[in-house]
Amino acid sequence: MKNIYKKYELLSAYVDNELSDAEIKKLEDELKFSKDLQNKLDELKKVKQLTASSVKSINENPYFDTRVSATLKNGTTWIFRLRNFYPVVGIIALSIMLMVVLKYNPGFINNIVEKQKSNISDFYKQNLKPLLYAADLTNEDIFNFAFYHQLPLDNSKHQYLYLGSGPNGNKYFEIKNSNQSIAGNNLEKFIKGLNLNTAQRRQVDSILSSYADNLQSQVLVNEKNTVAINPNIWNFNKALVADLISFAARANKQKMRNVLPAGFENYFNSSSIARFVNEVNSTNNNKYIFITPDTIFSDSFYFDKSKFNEQMKKLNEEMSKMNKENGNFVFNFHLDSNLVRLNNLPSMNDFKIFFDSNSCQIHLPQIIVPHIPVKDFDSIAANLGRAGDMFNKMFSFDFPDINKSKNFNYKYFYSDSAKGLKFNFRAFRFDTTFNFNNKKLNRLYGKNFRKFKFSNPDSIAEFYKQFFSDSTAFNQKELEKELQQVQKQMELFQKQMEQWQKQMPKNKKDTTAKQIEI
Amino acid sequence: MKIKRKKHEVQYPQILNLDDDFSLIKRFIEGDESTFNVLMLRHKEKVRNIIYLTLNNHELVDDIAQEVFITVYKNLGRFRFESQFTTWLYRITINKCKDHLRKIRIRSIFTAISDSDNEPGYTTSPEDKDTAEIVRAGISKLPEKLRVPLLLKDIEGLSYQEIAEAVQCEIGTVKSRIFRARESLRNILKPYERELL
Repeated sequence: MKNIYKKYELLSAYVDNELSDAEIKKLEDELKFSKDLQNKLDELKKVKQLTASSVKSINENPYFDTRVSATLKNGTTWIFRLRNFYPVVGIIALSIMLMVVLKYNPGFINNIVEKQKSNISDFYKQNLKPLLYAADLTNEDIFNFAFYHQLPLDNSKHQYLYLGSGPNGNKYFEIKNSNQSIAGNNLEKFIKGLNLNTAQRRQVDSILSSYADNLQSQVLVNEKNTVAINPNIWNFNKALVADLISFAARANKQKMRNVLPAGFENYFNSSSIARFVNEVNSTNNNKYIFITPDTIFSDSFYFDKSKFNEQMKKLNEEMSKMNKENGNFVFNFHLDSNLVRLNNLPSMNDFKIFFDSNSCQIHLPQIIVPHIPVKDFDSIAANLGRAGDMFNKMFSFDFPDINKSKNFNYKYFYSDSAKGLKFNFRAFRFDTTFNFNNKKLNRLYGKNFRKFKFSNPDSIAEFYKQFFSDSTAFNQKELEKELQQVQKQMELFQKQMEQWQKQMPKNKKDTTAKQIEI
Repeated sequence: MKIKRKKHEVQYPQILNLDDDFSLIKRFIEGDESTFNVLMLRHKEKVRNIIYLTLNNHELVDDIAQEVFITVYKNLGRFRFESQFTTWLYRITINKCKDHLRKIRIRSIFTAISDSDNEPGYTTSPEDKDTAEIVRAGISKLPEKLRVPLLLKDIEGLSYQEIAEAVQCEIGTVKSRIFRARESLRNILKPYERELL
């Protein structure tokens, strides 16, 4: 095959008359006896002829030499030669100009950047209106905000704003697609749990309503898909918890004594709490965090409440329209480090943003939450946190008389959601849920025993983080289903117990009577 | 004094005539710049054709030919008389064409439509239009490294040696490339065998 190819190559060279005499003689001898070579030769001749005839030379240009001569004549001048250095000359000239400008106007570039910043921030600040329209917030929503730190962002309650704090105390807020951990009717459970009378019930309603008005100016939105959140919302949350717990401590001392640790009851009756609540409600923080489709930044913004109230009617119509149009917030974050430091606060670190298909979490620099000038603010805040957690547990599942020693305490953490799920189960027929989780634990146990610490429930979270990169991957629905089943079984059991208790004394009497007879 | 002047003179091959390329170059080196025009007139059409055949674009021919002759003008003083002037000239021409093709390739990365899409094809006489058109289309499908030696041979009539020096490769490679070009062209034209072959 290789030989024949070489032979054909020689034939091609033969056609081009590029062979030596000896090669020509040898090839012509072979051609006499090979039909195949003869055919190939004819083929190559034909192709050569076709190539030569198909492409014609280009027409002559009589002016070509004149043109080249003229170019050469110009090319010898120094101006022509300088043309080769035009780019370099341009760069040098530009550099010199910049140096001169910066020497006499050192803030020139900074001014441009600052102007650009303010242009962008002004653009996104336009036409901001409250998202949490007070009339749309129910008392239940505000109650849940107090103890579960989350507020519904739309009327259909598909999206929630969740306020959280990380393990280091860093504040963050999260926009979630669904309410994942709150059972319904918490306010009602709270009222029933404390055995409140009608007057006290009204008092609770009035506390909650008073916060609705303040909360509405904490989260603002506009048609540019900007969400502006006032960091003071964290303080409102604390004040609300303080208000509710203080009220509960006054309303049902006995009950609260069982729920709160020793000393807490008096603590919540102290004047510090009242001062704290007053300070929070009177603090007018004008620094908002702006979450825009382009970036996140913090800047001053004055929200005119009175003007807003005047426009209330008109706004109501617009809001309902807006809610229909913007069912969901869609953010494409392009973080701009300059904008993040819009305030030029020295200790203000970058915002940290975590988001997946289910939620968007924005961690804030600590400085951004306004400090309330109350003497023992930090201790109040810490105690509020603890008391709030206890309250949360107490009213989560409507089992006021839990015997703690017989309970199983579960703590779940989603891979990407900071809010954990805490469940208290009585030691009865929890097997369906337990098996469900036990399977997961066993699987993890087999895979990486050393990292897994049973004593620390948080370590479980670490494992789930490894296995579920997206919170939607976690089988939330399956877990909820299991829990609903457990709840139903427990309700059934309670009913059976009640019936059994009713029957018990009768049986006892019968037994005693029989014994007497014996 | 006479001996001293001889030492500084460049030693040129003895076989040259006054009007051949070498003598013209020698006169150019000695200061007679008018000889460059003679050289240009003598070779311009060959250079223009090589450019046209290599690039398959008649609009660019004069611009690139001008670049070729400017390069020749600038470097003629350093010509070493080791090979024919035409060999050196064709090499410069092919290199200029390659530079241009490289620029087009880089530009095509940044533009959606490549320049070659708008380029006109080779010209031909009207009577052979159909046949020639088919063959031209076939030739334009050949890769550059096969197409250029084939056209330099079949259209310009350069020898294998001249082609090898122009495209800077071995004679054996030129021989092989020309044969491969013909084979490829034959395969491309096979569907039109009845009309052409």
